[in-house]
Amino acid sequence: MKLTRSVFWIAPMLALIPHLLLNEYYQYLVNLTLVYVLVGVGFNIVVGNLGQLAFSNVAFFGIGAYASGILTTQLSMPWWMTIIPAGLAGALAGCAASIPALRGVRLFYLAIMTLAFGELMRWSYIRTPSLTGGSMGLSVPAPELFGWVMEREHDKFYVFLFIVVVVVIFTNRILESRIGRAFQAIKNDEKAAAAMAIPTSRYFLLAFALSGFIVGVGGAMYTALVGHLSPEAFDLVQLIQQFAIIMVGGLGSLVGSVLGAVLITATPELFRDWPGFEELMFGVVIVLVILLLPRGLSSLLARAHSVFKDRYYRDD
Amino acid sequence: MALLEVAGATVRFGGLTAVKEVAFEVEAGTVRALIGPNGAGKTTLFRAIAGEERLSGGSIRFQGAAIHDLTPHEIAARGVRRTFQNGGLFGDLTALENILAGLHMRTRSSLWGLLVNSRRAVQAEREATRKARQLLGMMGIGHVADQPARDLSGGQQRMVEIVRALATDPPLLLLDEPAVGLAPPVRTELLGIIRRVVEQQGIAVLLIEHAIEFVMTVSDTIMVLNNGELIAQGTPAQVRENREVLEAYLGR
Amino acid sequence: MMLALLPQLLVSGIAIGMLYALIALSMTILYRATTVVNFGHGDIVMVGAYLLTIFVVNATLPFLPALLASLAVLFVFGYLLHRVFIWPILEGPHLSLAMMAIAIGYALRGLMRLEYGQESVRMPRPFPEKVFFIHDVVITLDEVVFCVVVIVLLLSSYLVFSRTRFGRIVQAMFQTQRGASLVGIDVRLYNNLIWGAGCALGALGGVLLGLILVLDPDAGAWTLLRGFAAMTLGGFGSLHGAVVGGLLIGILEKLLGTYVSTAFIDITCYIVIIVVLLVRPRGLFGQHATLRI
Repeated sequence: MKLTRSVFWIAPMLALIPHLLLNEYYQYLVNLTLVYVLVGVGFNIVVGNLGQLAFSNVAFFGIGAYASGILTTQLSMPWWMTIIPAGLAGALAGCAASIPALRGVRLFYLAIMTLAFGELMRWSYIRTPSLTGGSMGLSVPAPELFGWVMEREHDKFYVFLFIVVVVVIFTNRILESRIGRAFQAIKNDEKAAAAMAIPTSRYFLLAFALSGFIVGVGGAMYTALVGHLSPEAFDLVQLIQQFAIIMVGGLGSLVGSVLGAVLITATPELFRDWPGFEELMFGVVIVLVILLLPRGLSSLLARAHSVFKDRYYRDD
Repeated sequence: MALLEVAGATVRFGGLTAVKEVAFEVEAGTVRALIGPNGAGKTTLFRAIAGEERLSGGSIRFQGAAIHDLTPHEIAARGVRRTFQNGGLFGDLTALENILAGLHMRTRSSLWGLLVNSRRAVQAEREATRKARQLLGMMGIGHVADQPARDLSGGQQRMVEIVRALATDPPLLLLDEPAVGLAPPVRTELLGIIRRVVEQQGIAVLLIEHAIEFVMTVSDTIMVLNNGELIAQGTPAQVRENREVLEAYLGR
Repeated sequence: MMLALLPQLLVSGIAIGMLYALIALSMTILYRATTVVNFGHGDIVMVGAYLLTIFVVNATLPFLPALLASLAVLFVFGYLLHRVFIWPILEGPHLSLAMMAIAIGYALRGLMRLEYGQESVRMPRPFPEKVFFIHDVVITLDEVVFCVVVIVLLLSSYLVFSRTRFGRIVQAMFQTQRGASLVGIDVRLYNNLIWGAGCALGALGGVLLGLILVLDPDAGAWTLLRGFAAMTLGGFGSLHGAVVGGLLIGILEKLLGTYVSTAFIDITCYIVIIVVLLVRPRGLFGQHATLRI
């Protein structure tokens, strides 16, 4: 138990070492991985821990990204000030996405509805060019932190790493607490959870809002990272990649989110020269994971060493 | 005033009346059983009390207040706890965590407190864990506390369910076929547990059961339901003699 | 004044609605057989058009044999898809089934992109474009073809369903899989066949789509959502619901798109999904409702 806790402190410090050796491009990849860690962590809360088929993650991501972008371009806010608003925008979207779930919509009905919600959001990015730059996209200035302009990828790395570590630690605390227990209870048997006086609606809302917040913050980081937003970045293709993070990494597992994030950032790099091959590989990998390793990579690692076991996520 | 008062309860599904004008009371510190042939409406009545079915007519009052319009979790929060026929156990959680889930209401702490590991939050969790281990120990399954619930044997799982339902000392306990699938020695143990909590803690128990011997031994009062109607209530001895009941399904 | 447009809008709406109905129908039979919602179906539909193009252009087959070949390939694909990827995990978590379908669709998308890269492709046409005038209403040959093909298909499926042994067995399976297996029906085999048929039907829809759309590996999402909208409106699992739903979506798109805002051409399907699932989740003819907690 103590060992698992200290991993959260040690790992990021180890991550600082290669940073000193990486060039701009690889540092960019590491930063992208950090963004995807947040995406995976947020997604996992609703799909892995609460156990719902919600496909709304890209909507949260896009809303957070565009919220940050719009605030920097329209209101000239420095980037660091847009992080929390982006998170809140994502949380709000999370609340909206939870409405069908609160009314009892489950399983693939929920999936389809959240899918439609995501596509509706993407349509709105295209159709509000005055705010979002429409299909031409939105260019944002270099991210700024208390007056320090982060031009280089290395600069962004420090900030991203800090944000990710904070989010991961807090998420871990929540998932290990009665809240995480309530999520798992609902996932296992919703009726029984209600019979334990667990107000399931409240926890649905909490899970979705929390997920939305974390992914929204990830969106703000994404905006800072890429500097230019376009609606295509938030379509169903992106959704599948986000699914890959949590399914290949390990549903419900924080460690899994990290592993999955590393994987989906690394893979496209290997296949950059063959358009279409990457998608084929992704599809094949997910199929194989579902058939052969349904609990994801983290389950493999968890068997190797208990350090990789999340206490609230078990694979036996 | 009785703990649970059911008056004129009726549940209709479209054209079918599953429960017809059922009325009875449950006093604290007693065990009341609900028996009857399959399809008699026992489960429907049970679910109505637990809030999972809506009454089409009549009322259900608990501790004097009407509960038939409340949601299941609100009813549970008021002190009506139940077990389920097919588990209802949280398989991914350990036995201990299942009990902690049952204690959910009692481990309150603010979100902020949880995030920063405030003293109150840590204290609440520690207290609950201690109590949960104690309860499991009293039932003789303390040694499996940290195993995932789905890995436990059938009898152990049933015990965990009961402990979980009892964790908050609920005034009313609803048991849905608690003895089904249990070996005779385990049934006897269960019987002992039920009588003990009823007599020592004054808990009221309402249970559905098919195992007649079990019912006859554990209950203070037995109610017989047939075709949605209450056709008999009384002590086990009275019910055993009742001609209508015998005709209905005991088949003797 | 605007009302004068109504007949035109209805005609065009019904025509495209026929296409949506076909796609929704192909998805519904997969769902009825296995209660799996095929999230990769949009991509399968597109593959139909791509395959036809490959057969005509690369293999220089005439249109009709190429069409039959595409349908046959996709039938076999659907058969194997169920047999190898769906059947083994049917009892598992719903998420895995959804992801399996998505992943396969995604892999297909990759294949299509590998073959054609960034170039936009037009499916070869079997007949030239033509336009008819009936009173003030314009109707294209494509639209006529949509209607004819789908109506013929519906009629023949009705005949297959009610007159043939195969159809009766499928009907039994649609009612209850467990009951069907109890009377000795090889559920796995029939599911394989039904998936083959569903994918072939989807491919047919893709070919029809290819008449009016430029082929694009990413068009699968467009197709999928319209299929979902039709199924949701008609009621999930209902065969006539899929048809009625498809027609209604087609008509709604045209009406709202003209009388309210052109935005509705794109977003009608999303709005229908969201509104129907919030207000009346079982749609027009469906049976499953929502959970009551």
